[in-house]
Amino acid sequence: MGEEVKGEFEPRIIGFTCNWCTYAAADLAGTARMKYPPNIRLIRQMCSGRVDPLFVLKVFLRGADGVFIGGCHPGECHYMTGNLSARRRYSMMKKLLESVGIDPKRLRMEWISASEGIKFSDTVKEFTAQIKGLGPGPFRHIETEGKEQK
Amino acid sequence: MVKGDMYLAQASDEEILKQGESGGAVTALLKFALDSGVVDAVLGVKKRDGNNRYDAVLDLITDPEKVIDCAGSLHCVSLNIARNVKEYLGGAKQMKIAVLCKPCDARAIIEIAKRKQINRDNLLLIGLNCTGTLPPVVAKEMLISEYEVDPNEVVMEDIEGGELIVTLADGTKIAKDLLELEKKGYGRRDNCRRCNVNIPTMADIACGKWGVKEGEKKTFTEVCSDKGAEFIDNAIKTGVIKVEPPGEDAIEERKRKDREAIELSNKCEAEDLKELREISLDDRLAYWLHMFDRCIKCFSCRDACPICYCKKCFLEPDRGYVKGGEVPPDRMFHLTRLAHDGDSCVNCGQCQDACPAEIPLTRLYLMLNIKLSPMFDYVSGMDVEQKPPLIAAKDEEASIDDIDIFLVKGEAGEVVPQQ
Repeated sequence: MGEEVKGEFEPRIIGFTCNWCTYAAADLAGTARMKYPPNIRLIRQMCSGRVDPLFVLKVFLRGADGVFIGGCHPGECHYMTGNLSARRRYSMMKKLLESVGIDPKRLRMEWISASEGIKFSDTVKEFTAQIKGLGPGPFRHIETEGKEQK
Repeated sequence: MVKGDMYLAQASDEEILKQGESGGAVTALLKFALDSGVVDAVLGVKKRDGNNRYDAVLDLITDPEKVIDCAGSLHCVSLNIARNVKEYLGGAKQMKIAVLCKPCDARAIIEIAKRKQINRDNLLLIGLNCTGTLPPVVAKEMLISEYEVDPNEVVMEDIEGGELIVTLADGTKIAKDLLELEKKGYGRRDNCRRCNVNIPTMADIACGKWGVKEGEKKTFTEVCSDKGAEFIDNAIKTGVIKVEPPGEDAIEERKRKDREAIELSNKCEAEDLKELREISLDDRLAYWLHMFDRCIKCFSCRDACPICYCKKCFLEPDRGYVKGGEVPPDRMFHLTRLAHDGDSCVNCGQCQDACPAEIPLTRLYLMLNIKLSPMFDYVSGMDVEQKPPLIAAKDEEASIDDIDIFLVKGEAGEVVPQQ
């Protein structure tokens, strides 16, 4: 990865964002020229309910330092209850990560509606700073193809 | 008769009364179920060749006269009843079956019934009290080295008040402290140590001998569902079992023994998981990765797990999560299973029994399950109507904005085990 400056740890964060709210908020933040750290890479999903717990696990195992999930506020889901299921899965994942020994603080979920560009940029800033504080993720040394580098 | 009623029951038939361990009520009920046509078959557990109590086999019985083969209780077994019903009996979708089950078997059946892979309506679950089972090979070793008896001489095992009591053919009883045995690597299966469900109230009928006076040949029977009530009613009417109401003291005695067994299991749980709970996250991760790397990818845990529910398994290479032909497998292998089954695990221990690499899987699943239970107000395998927590989002949750509601609830409800 090209962004790593000598000596300083630059986290890699994967963000799963819902098409209807958080992705639109990221778009808004971009068009409004709000600044937020470039450490987050967004993957657009149709709904936060599409975020399978396995996605989160796979992303961690392939070397991500943090995972962010963004969805619509409860009651505003385009598919009625997708975000409610997402919240249950997220709660389960937090405990799962803790049980196997991955710091649950590396996983974060936030409701960000399409108009909340500021909330999006603030959240990314805050989360990036938090991950910087936690240091590299447990599988950071693994390259994306899944082969360990010695 | 209604749900919640309790009885002391005894078989009317002389032969069954003699063969049965505690009055033969269960055998008599099973025979009655077949005779009266309530079920098409009985799924029971019997000794292989009629005498090997360390190698029990499942038997699908359709002849009422053969039910008696299943009389008497066996402790050195851990048969995968739920998985067998699902896989080899077509999920009981075509036939009505009476199933003899321990609490974990009944819970596993209920969990898989929620996923529509077993038809619960066609099953009559006859639950048996259980305070743990022993792994057969280790049990034999233990009988030789600790009890200094010939395993073939044993006619009965029993776990009572923290002791493992072995009865020999000549009537001698030898009791040894269970926890002492377990310190030496003998005793119950790993998961049974930490299991706190002793009375199968999730089945249709719960039978056991707690609450029965020493020496009396009777079975304490609790009716746990409407289906069970109807069945027992008919059985009493036909006269296959004789019943009497238990006294207050008998009910109290049963409760006390259950409480004691739960206390013991809580103690074992605190002891077993203490180290894993106390070490740092990094150490815990290192521990589990080390364990996962022992895996030889035999898929036994998946094949044994009674609640593994995907029709097309995520662990197959074409699903894109776990590469084919790699040993040890990608860590996704075990984490996928944990993510899929962690919320509904019934602590039956089949995965760990099947594992040739002896990965302590039940500890991992239990550690997660203990945390999830208070979060979602969910105890797996208790109520067939209660949906698995991850898909049970309720409409009223739409008005709650707090991301962490379940986590907060989990923290509040989490019972810190007593050290």
